Amino acid sequence: MSSHVDRLIRLDDGQRILSKAECDTIARRVKGFAEHGGDTDVEIKSWWAGELRWGRNRVSLAGDRRNIGVEVTRTIRQAPGVAATNQIDDVSLQAAVRAAERSARLMQPWPQDLEKPRPPFTYATPAIWSDATYNQTASESEQAVRALMDPAEAQAMLSAGYLEVRADTMAHYPKDRPATYAAFTNAQCSMTVRDEKGTGSGWAGLSSYDQRAIDTQALAKRALEKAVASRNPVSLEPGRYTVVLEPQAVHDLVRWIVNPRINGTLDRGGAEKGSGPFVAGYDNALNLFRSKLGLKVVDERITISHDPMDPLLGVVPYNGDDEPYRSVKWIDHGVLTTLTDGRDYALTSRNDDLGHPNSGAYRMSGGQTTVEEMIRTTRRGLLVTRFWGVTLLDGGSLLVNGLTRDGLWLIENGKISKAVKNFRFTESPLFVLNSIEQLGEPVPVFSPFVPAIVPPLKARDFSFTSLIDAV
Amino acid sequence: MPITRRDFVKSGVVAAAVAAVPRPLLMRLGPTREPVPPIDDPRLKELVGRALEATRAAGASYADVRLTHDRGRAVRSDSEVRDGEDMVVGVRALVNGYWGFASGGAWSPDEMARLGRTAVALAKTNALGKKRVVDLAPVPAIKDGHWVMPVKIDPFEVPPLEIADFLASLEVYVARMRGAQVNGFVESSFRLQEIAFGSTLGSYCTQRCYRTSGSLQVVLVKDGKQGSGEVDCLTDAGLGWELFTAERIPFVRDRSLRESIRQLLDEIEAYTKLPIKPLDVGRYDTVLDALSVAHLLDGTLAPATQLDRALGYEANAGGTSYINAPLEMLGTYQAGSQLLTVTGNRSETGGCATVQWDDEGVVPDEFALVKDGVLVDFQTTRESAGWLKDAYARAGKTFRSHGCAVAPNGIYAPLQHAPNITMAPDRGDVDFDALVAGVTKGIAIKRMGANMDFQCLNGMGSGVTFEIKRGQRVAMIGNAAVLFRAPELWKGLLALGGTTSSRRYGMFDGKGEPPQNSSYSVTAPPALFKQLTYIDPLRKA
Repeated sequence: MSSHVDRLIRLDDGQRILSKAECDTIARRVKGFAEHGGDTDVEIKSWWAGELRWGRNRVSLAGDRRNIGVEVTRTIRQAPGVAATNQIDDVSLQAAVRAAERSARLMQPWPQDLEKPRPPFTYATPAIWSDATYNQTASESEQAVRALMDPAEAQAMLSAGYLEVRADTMAHYPKDRPATYAAFTNAQCSMTVRDEKGTGSGWAGLSSYDQRAIDTQALAKRALEKAVASRNPVSLEPGRYTVVLEPQAVHDLVRWIVNPRINGTLDRGGAEKGSGPFVAGYDNALNLFRSKLGLKVVDERITISHDPMDPLLGVVPYNGDDEPYRSVKWIDHGVLTTLTDGRDYALTSRNDDLGHPNSGAYRMSGGQTTVEEMIRTTRRGLLVTRFWGVTLLDGGSLLVNGLTRDGLWLIENGKISKAVKNFRFTESPLFVLNSIEQLGEPVPVFSPFVPAIVPPLKARDFSFTSLIDAV
Repeated sequence: MPITRRDFVKSGVVAAAVAAVPRPLLMRLGPTREPVPPIDDPRLKELVGRALEATRAAGASYADVRLTHDRGRAVRSDSEVRDGEDMVVGVRALVNGYWGFASGGAWSPDEMARLGRTAVALAKTNALGKKRVVDLAPVPAIKDGHWVMPVKIDPFEVPPLEIADFLASLEVYVARMRGAQVNGFVESSFRLQEIAFGSTLGSYCTQRCYRTSGSLQVVLVKDGKQGSGEVDCLTDAGLGWELFTAERIPFVRDRSLRESIRQLLDEIEAYTKLPIKPLDVGRYDTVLDALSVAHLLDGTLAPATQLDRALGYEANAGGTSYINAPLEMLGTYQAGSQLLTVTGNRSETGGCATVQWDDEGVVPDEFALVKDGVLVDFQTTRESAGWLKDAYARAGKTFRSHGCAVAPNGIYAPLQHAPNITMAPDRGDVDFDALVAGVTKGIAIKRMGANMDFQCLNGMGSGVTFEIKRGQRVAMIGNAAVLFRAPELWKGLLALGGTTSSRRYGMFDGKGEPPQNSSYSVTAPPALFKQLTYIDPLRKA
């Protein structure tokens, strides 16, 4: 066995993830093992994570983890077979190829339209790698976390939280297209502070590809302040309230519109088959569903967009089919301007050679009003830290159900008057974006791997349907 | 002695798996690479020993190592077969009350040493901070234990083509029945996890655990009305291919899979004949089927009696527990009516969480969590049992872990996860229909799922909902949801089904940061609850 393979398999301290050259070698070996003709598609992933978890003011676990994944797809006479392994020695790779071939032989042919030749894709080169994240040592993480735990403990509060620095690589060797390789980092930090009796709870968190963008001290301060201020909440009647939503709370709703992994709200194919909230109606003359493209769907102050080159919104610049993410405005000044589709659908439905793949990352426009000003101008309303456990009730109206968590306060006559018990709500994010009174400055929120920049906002008539006395 | 290919193929179940999928993975025990031996090969013990030595040399007061080898296979009725394989190793070390953990994807002596050193270094880094006390519950050392989950048919011995054929035959069977059809594909999924565990207490053991599940959804169109449903006897189980082929499986189904499908179609046909009524908002006595009761346990008591969760260690993830002062509530808290007795075990045949040893080398025991309505214990690991040491001493109970340390595989550090959970049934032979027959005016729900809050306290549930009048299901109710608080729900338990109506379902316990999922079984009878509150979930305030 060559020393080269040994070096690859070990991923030891000096090497935690696979380089492009190493992925190229593995892919070449995999393709070399193919028998019985057909095509070979190889995906190679590797990742490393350094983690610190704490509870009750003490670190409960420090971890260092890494792994590899190789997925081989062998397509023989239009029948695809798939096998995966995390071992990259020759015999394991060969065994994976044989297993994929055996599956391909079992599989019924799955005729697919011949793909039209792709134009040469050009990918954006976004900011997704940070040496500062990759090189953060366990000892630096420990010092950061200690500084997060100590202030809470000094006030006899209990904190629990998580800090992670992580790097991933993703390489794809399609049968008949250029290969892709991406390396990206992620850092996240979040913490929850509670009092010993569990009458109050505060949370704060942030994520970025670059750990330097996370001001952990500011998070610790916010979580602690919220915990202290949320103690001993009073019961309020469910009903419609004006709400001041902090950016995280806005994100917890708006991601139901934007993120395709959560809901296919922006999916063009879905809308043109009559599902989702962006169906305008059935056109009897043309015998098809019309989407709401070109129609105003939310408040005209709202623009929801994504530019892969936005320094705060970097993602791997292509989707699972290697189709590039383009700079896109889903909603422009309240008007639905783009729906997402892959290249196949775009080609057949509107002869667009690229489509509009959607990474889920987004920037939402805002305004100049600070949260303090929103509170000052509210006669009676609720201040919401974040939502949790949000689930879809009705796709057509995008009605969702969920809970408030980690800090909910009553605003009376321009001031926060008291902490209130959590509510269950039944509301549509689209209704909220149509009931906006004020908007604040967009800021990054906690959204690991799928960054988002979101403003705080004040909206009317938010529907809280029942009291929950969980803290 | 190097293992030859022939020796390898000769070795029992592994041989059969290899015959089906020729995948001789390589590992490094000596100077050259060689095929991965069966998990009970003594040389894997040396590999585990390497990591333990490294942790000892680096100054760990305790350490454990898990080598896991997962094989996965998913087969669909259209003959799609997906194979996957993952070999990983995780080392956990304790230094001055702080845990360090390191894991990776290579089984080699050098890698064992590196992981051992890294785990200790991580623990030491954190041990520089304030004092942290860990009082691990005692556990006897295991001297070379080997265990294989007793399944009837090793799914990796069955040719994938035979599995695909069987699944396709179910599609044909459904299509021949009264205008029914399968929605999507019939799916099956199999996992074999081999684990070698060793600890610095001198324990060493290996296990081979199976997990099998499937999915089959039917749609029935009859007289212009459409009904649909999913067979509920294919949820995750600690069984082999017999989950599909056995004539009957205790607590899973009392007839063949085909008969179960026919029963489901009968049921769907019967309810499509019922009139549909809107909900009359209010409070109703409610009969829930076994699956609904299992989901309620999965949402409430199964997570709420996890001691780490109750003490706030999960506060930044899934949340805490409504059992929010666990040490004071132990032995006194009325968790439900006197009918409620809930136990944990990791030994029942077919259970998803069934093992011989947990991920800390503890032989799990069967233990009561709630007895006759009173909270009597918590789910524990060796560390969390230490938090109950005084309480156990006061109550005259043995200071021990209940063996609930679990990690999905070696890449994750063990956490406390749910064991198999069983709700004691009534002694008689009352079933769902008999419970319905006893209700004059009320509601019955089948297949209810529950959406819970972050203290497992307030929930909203909805399923296939029926109006009951004079002991009969007379109509279906559209858009209805139950709102409940866990303590009142369980205190309102009025009657239970008998043993023969109890059913076991595979559930998932998601927990931790980074998040990890483990699977466990919940066994429950149908039950009658007093005056549950109903709302229209689609109505805004």
